[in-house]
Amino acid sequence: MTAYILNLLVLISVYAILSTTLNFIIGYAGIFSLAHAVFFGIGGYTAALVAMNVTPEFFVAIPVAMAAAAVTSLLLALPALRVRGEYFVAASLGLQVLAVTLFSEWKSFTGGIGGVIGIPAVEMLGYPIYKPWQFLLMSLICLVIIIGIIRILVHTSFGRSLKAIRDSESAALASGKNVTVIKTLSVVLSSALAAVAGALYAFYMSFINVQSFMLDTSVLVMAMVIIGGTATILGPLLGAALLMLMPSVLTYLSFLPQTEIGSIQQIVYGMAMVLLMIFRPGGIVSSHPGGGK
Amino acid sequence: MLFLQLLANGLQVGAIYALTAAGFSLIFGSTKIFHFAHGATFAIAAYLFHFALTGLGFHWTFAVAVAAISAVVFGVVLDRFMYAPIQRHEGSFFTVFVASFGVGIVVQNLLGSVFGRGFMSVPTPLSNSVEVMPGLYLSPLNGLAIGCAVICFVALHYFLTHTFVGKGLRALSENPELVRMFGLSPRRLSTYAFALGSLLVVPGAIFTAAGTGINPAVGHHVMLISLAATIVGGIGSLRGAACAGLLIGVAENLAMWKLGTQWSEAITFAILFFFIIFKPSGFFGRATVS
Repeated sequence: MTAYILNLLVLISVYAILSTTLNFIIGYAGIFSLAHAVFFGIGGYTAALVAMNVTPEFFVAIPVAMAAAAVTSLLLALPALRVRGEYFVAASLGLQVLAVTLFSEWKSFTGGIGGVIGIPAVEMLGYPIYKPWQFLLMSLICLVIIIGIIRILVHTSFGRSLKAIRDSESAALASGKNVTVIKTLSVVLSSALAAVAGALYAFYMSFINVQSFMLDTSVLVMAMVIIGGTATILGPLLGAALLMLMPSVLTYLSFLPQTEIGSIQQIVYGMAMVLLMIFRPGGIVSSHPGGGK
Repeated sequence: MLFLQLLANGLQVGAIYALTAAGFSLIFGSTKIFHFAHGATFAIAAYLFHFALTGLGFHWTFAVAVAAISAVVFGVVLDRFMYAPIQRHEGSFFTVFVASFGVGIVVQNLLGSVFGRGFMSVPTPLSNSVEVMPGLYLSPLNGLAIGCAVICFVALHYFLTHTFVGKGLRALSENPELVRMFGLSPRRLSTYAFALGSLLVVPGAIFTAAGTGINPAVGHHVMLISLAATIVGGIGSLRGAACAGLLIGVAENLAMWKLGTQWSEAITFAILFFFIIFKPSGFFGRATVS
């Protein structure tokens, strides 16, 4: 039982990192990305590669994973600079589909469909971390640091410029903001931090394959952000906890057919998305009660 | 010969994509609603056609009617009871998209729970292939799908240019304020757009059910492709959606020839990605990208 709860908590904190970093670009920059799982994946695969071939040291694997995701995220920044709204959603979808194909075909990097097996336990300054509670502690610390970074950024002039761009790009440009640099930086930062989640996930599972980095994951993370509440710190955390706990809670409801749990879970969050958008578009933790952004 | 075979398959698939994309483009162009649940309409029409034909044993004409009615009703209900309330108080692109995506998820899983998650297809003598040339197998379905798409496009063009509602829809895509001033109701026109756009998925849904088969994710897949086709063709341009749908259908099949099946979706999205970066207005779109 303890093991089960620890496992759930580790996964919640990994997904909370993903939803917090996605919220940074959706909520504050207005960049509606459906490609977040790509950077989760790049983080995971890179960390696995470093751990297996160089060293399982946390302070080596994580920065390398972040750098890899930061470089590839320029592919997402490119359309974000050119187009907005539905065009950008389509572009990010395109990137997500392309990435899934690459993940399953590029065998030397990702191990193809079979994935990467036997990722060694992570070490922190030479001290191996393999017990679940140690791992939980490590991922919680990562989560807290990432929330801290985002909180600080949002309250600096960078964050205010981002919100200005979200609300009116031409007005921000007119008041002398360097829109190109600010937007690119926000995408790069969000993707690099998402790679931390990928690396943690790879070390925790010690096995990863393309199944974890598909469009479904991007949509799940997006649902966490939206159901929880965009442009808030608490919202994405709440969303991640709710959506990760839902399958286990549903398993306890014995009157539900057990084979349909997956479907019921998806139906519940699909319905939640629809109803929230009609009645409370800002999410559960809404920064502007009664209305959206 | 393989080339011709893949070209023929590509044209059939392309015709289906073109029709679905045209429906999406019609709705999006005139109402500005990003109707991602359009794929759900496709899946519902396909499943109900299958169910009416094999489950209830209806004659195929009734089964087609069932599919058409359910698609139209689904589209109009979404417009009235989901998009209208959302647009009343906010209506940003973001909210509409999320709600629409939510509907897609719900429908996909409901269909999976009710009808099963495997592939299903409607057995029909029309899908039996005949070897017309050595190595080139064609079924009557190939021709029917393409013919049906051509008829639909001609009818749609006539409707949009010669009828009052059609002209109203085109006016709505140009300037909703002017439409209101003219004494027409944008809300009512929006309902027409949804009815018509949803109707356009029916031929595609039926040919898919009879040909390659359907699974609950089919709507999602078709929607992704139609979205790509709509943007590559230029949002709001039916001609563009049709050309791009065909182009993607053919490109997807020719990709199998050189690269293998697993690359077909990637090719489509590579095309889309480059269009968005270099020519976001598409083939025939007006250059109004903000």
